Amino acid sequence: MTAAMDEDSRLLLHAYVDGELDPAHALEVERQLSADAGLAAERDRIEALRRLIQERLPRETAPPGLAARVEAAIGRAPPSQLGPSGKRLSSFGSSWRALAASFVTAAFLASGTTWLVLRPNLSEPSLSPAQEMADMVVASHIRSLMAPQPADVASSDRHTVKPWFNGKVIEAPRVVDLGNEGFPLVGGRIDVIGRVPVPALVYRHRQHVISLLAVPAGDVRGAVPERRAIAGYNILTWTQNGVVYWAVSDVAAADLEKFATAFRNAPA
Amino acid sequence: VVAEDDQTRFRAVVLPHLADAYALARWLTGSATDAEDVVQEACLRAFRGIQGYAGGNARAWLLTITRHAAFTWLAKNRSSALVVVDDLEEAERKGISHGLQMEPSNTPEAALIAKADASLLQSAIAQLPVPFRETLVLRDVQGLDYREIAEVTKVPIGTVMSRLARARRRLMASVAGSEARA
Repeated sequence: MTAAMDEDSRLLLHAYVDGELDPAHALEVERQLSADAGLAAERDRIEALRRLIQERLPRETAPPGLAARVEAAIGRAPPSQLGPSGKRLSSFGSSWRALAASFVTAAFLASGTTWLVLRPNLSEPSLSPAQEMADMVVASHIRSLMAPQPADVASSDRHTVKPWFNGKVIEAPRVVDLGNEGFPLVGGRIDVIGRVPVPALVYRHRQHVISLLAVPAGDVRGAVPERRAIAGYNILTWTQNGVVYWAVSDVAAADLEKFATAFRNAPA
Repeated sequence: VVAEDDQTRFRAVVLPHLADAYALARWLTGSATDAEDVVQEACLRAFRGIQGYAGGNARAWLLTITRHAAFTWLAKNRSSALVVVDDLEEAERKGISHGLQMEPSNTPEAALIAKADASLLQSAIAQLPVPFRETLVLRDVQGLDYREIAEVTKVPIGTVMSRLARARRRLMASVAGSEARA
């Protein structure tokens, strides 16, 4: 019953519902859930509350005048920061509206996010190898989004996609279609990560693209199972059968978790 | 040339997250007008600091600045909230004892939570102490993950987890009806 629930189990339960647990801990929580009706009831309450907030709570949207007020405020910023430019401010304004109209456009990726991703924290001297890897994976994903097609071989047929990798990489990756789980296979491509060609599978979830890189373990140092977020992209890493998988997408972290679970559990 | 670079960076880094900044300011100040002032102040700080921005999570960066600007505003304008802001740990301790008191007998059924009224939910969130409110809003309204919330609110992930759990438990009790209140 609820009273018997210790504090740690409760905190882990919230983290489980939020998709924040690594696979080992998630399995442990699932085991406890199946054995403890009180804990399962608590999970139902948490999920009911999250749904309530997501579906009923009115969204706060920025008032229409806010962008203009910000522009005006920036315009009054220290004069040394600004050139002699009424003109610049007006072009600034129109491109801001264009940005607001479409958040993820190729133009924005080219001008903004790519820079964020390609030059990670130069002021921080010691990026961990896994962090560097994550940056490169996100950069590859963004490059693929900017290309006309996110995949070099476009097919939902895994028997077409898998042979395409032969001869291009040392080891063709495991290819499964997850269309029934809501993640249809789109195709595959080769990414170059730290000078090494790496097979990448491309999946789709609603309007979002998921890149799944399969790196033979040992080729990359420090690739520990972990989740990250870089510049708005979620990254999930896990190791399976000697391969380190890097999933990257702008889908919600929980959805990426579902994708990873579906991929892990799919029959080969 | 420098100005052009700063504005380009500001456009790329700050402006895409303006709505998120406004939503956080709105929840922290409780007022649409004050939220606009806070966001404007935060954007000015972000613009002045844009050259020091080292890359990484732009949304978390802007939300951190916005939160700071909101707290400055609260300190100036809301003495009642100031107590909480000035002594987060005290609030945390109060939260713990309060949270434990509500349990176990008053935990409502999930079905009761599911059909709760939206305006009741809104006012229940607004009444949460600031540390609980900001954690819940960042997670359940704005969709940040635990790491990002820890970064924005400057506390360890364990604290994020306990604040989130306590915020949710308080909301469950409030929205499911008066019989569930401690």
